[in-house]
Amino acid sequence: MLSFLLTSARKDLARWRQDKTALLIWLGIPFLIGGLITSMIDSGDGTPTGVLLIADQDDSLLSGFVVGAYSQDQLGELIVVEQVSVQEGELRINDGDASGFLTIPAGFQDAFLNETPVTLTLKTNPAQTILPGIIEDVTEILLDSGFYAQRLLGPEIQQIKNAASNELPDDVFVAGISVDIQNKISKVMPKLSPLLLDIVILEPPPTAPQPDMALLFLPGIILMAVLFASNSLAADYWEEREKGTLRRLASVPGVLSAFVAGKAVAALAVIGIIATITLAVGFAYHDVAWNKFVPSLLWVSCGGVGLFAWFAALQMLFPNNRAANLLTTILLFPLMMAGGSFFPLAALPEWIAGMGRLSPNGFIVDRLAGELSAASPWSIDAKSWLTQFAITLSGLALSTWRLRSGFARK
Amino acid sequence: MLNVEGLVKQYGDFVAVDNASFNADAGSVFGLLGPNGAGKSTAIKCISGLLVPTAGRITVSGHDIVKDGKAARQSLGVVPQELALYEDLPAVDNLRYWGKAYGLRGKALEDRVADVLGYIGLADRAKDLPKEFSGGMQRRLNFGCGIVHKPKLLLLDEPTVGIDPQSRAKLFDLVEAERDAGACVLYTTHYMEEAERLCDSLAILDHGKIIAKGTVAELKSQLGARDALQLSGSFPVDTTKAAIASLMSSITDLEILSQDEATLMLTLSQASHHLPSIFSALSGAGGSVSETSLRSPNLETLFLLLTGKELRE
Repeated sequence: MLSFLLTSARKDLARWRQDKTALLIWLGIPFLIGGLITSMIDSGDGTPTGVLLIADQDDSLLSGFVVGAYSQDQLGELIVVEQVSVQEGELRINDGDASGFLTIPAGFQDAFLNETPVTLTLKTNPAQTILPGIIEDVTEILLDSGFYAQRLLGPEIQQIKNAASNELPDDVFVAGISVDIQNKISKVMPKLSPLLLDIVILEPPPTAPQPDMALLFLPGIILMAVLFASNSLAADYWEEREKGTLRRLASVPGVLSAFVAGKAVAALAVIGIIATITLAVGFAYHDVAWNKFVPSLLWVSCGGVGLFAWFAALQMLFPNNRAANLLTTILLFPLMMAGGSFFPLAALPEWIAGMGRLSPNGFIVDRLAGELSAASPWSIDAKSWLTQFAITLSGLALSTWRLRSGFARK
Repeated sequence: MLNVEGLVKQYGDFVAVDNASFNADAGSVFGLLGPNGAGKSTAIKCISGLLVPTAGRITVSGHDIVKDGKAARQSLGVVPQELALYEDLPAVDNLRYWGKAYGLRGKALEDRVADVLGYIGLADRAKDLPKEFSGGMQRRLNFGCGIVHKPKLLLLDEPTVGIDPQSRAKLFDLVEAERDAGACVLYTTHYMEEAERLCDSLAILDHGKIIAKGTVAELKSQLGARDALQLSGSFPVDTTKAAIASLMSSITDLEILSQDEATLMLTLSQASHHLPSIFSALSGAGGSVSETSLRSPNLETLFLLLTGKELRE
């Protein structure tokens, strides 16, 4: 029995090995879909960035402050500043190649210090809405701040300007001007921001760590490959029937069970290869702990054999090969939809996810997702393993019954 | 070796095999001869355990195929009418696979596979895929897969359908070699030449019923020395019948096998000597002959005599 089982498995593997295209398709489609999903999710952190072109014709200390102000702190994450000539800036903003173009005219610093009017020109990109608005607001705030700074610290700024145009200022000058500025600010601070309210800083409520969205897709994508493979491999019963080998086998005493088991072993090997490749890529890409690899591989491979067994039993119930192929292929898509291959179960409303978990592939996807996100490996409980074995054995038993009940003899 | 008693296989109202009984011994070839649809393949499927008989009993080496199927089928080798090969596995692996299915292992298996490859003339193509073989080579491999475990009863269901004369002759040699090695061979065909060449004894089936059985010599003796004379042309039914009846006084064993307005089939001894008088009588009856076919006594004429129709109709 065991010897023929292994012979039968080797026979099927030798035959299936010749169909390399099938393996590429089983792996290719999920990799393609997975790649697209991952690239969509991982393409940036969701924060748009804009380009602000600045033509600094003044090239002074103060104009340098203005240019630098756009790159400070969080603003720097939103706006990328590029210094350009006026001609280049005009050209690029007209081409829509930036969110805004700011021109700081020559004489800006002198005008600022002498309190004479000066015009800064800001052109924004009408094709964009949010970023040009932010740039406009920031520019207005900068100008307002500049006005107040000039009112408050005009003499000190003048001194700094004068000092910057000569030799490097000595430590005494720097210390003196710093003290003067600090004193002035200390005096006006109570008027500028009277503490009318006590501010209590609250810790934000603890939130659950946000799951990696691309990782949520991984179990469903792996099962997509397994579903394609198990359905295609199950069609081999029909192929053997059409070759006449099943009928010949039916006249051999006591081998049908070993034959079915042999096919399951061969399917386990093929699905194991697919699971190994898809899991390895997924683990490496998402940086999943490798000590979860073996339980994940076993879970997916055994689950795949269960799917194979049920697809086979189902296909053998149909009156002809074409109907069997067509209907089980049609069945694949709702199964993938319900079982979390297109949308992660965790991202679905609970009542839909609950139904999805009841589908055979959804059951496998759900436990695999749990294993991948668990703190430690081997998190799939014994009840789930037993359920999966029961599903697999019942599928194999049904396949054997169908072979004996006439499928093999026709 | 093989004992079939009152075999009946019925599909609804259609009776595919109707109360067939025959025996076949070890070291002999037993033929089931009959036209397409006569019930030969159904009988083979019942004997090989693929179909459960509606009634009757089949024993192989003393084991009932229904009640003790496992033991009975252990003695069987089946060469089905259609090819039953893994075309994407090398020829040698096909033989190994079926040998293992019947329990052969290790050196015994390898030795037997090598013997069979030589025996079927494929030793030099052992590692090639059957899908690259000619039709005749595939038939030989199909045969090899059926005998790799040295069956005591070999069932051959029309094994020569669609193959070239050379491969057919090779296949005959293989069947005879199996018989000489002590196997009982059950051979179905609708070619009477094959049956005459290979079969030690045979049964002729028509519409599921055995209409004659015995050795080839015994069956031929049923014909006596009568020839079969088939005439085509125009034959008014009533006057032709009367004209032939008038000839029966001078030709004692003359008999009408079948008659319609376009064809007349007669059986008589030394038919060639009586052709002028027959033509004359038919002409007098208002008939005309456009084509004449004369066949000496053989299984085909026996079938014609028994059923009034051609074996290959």
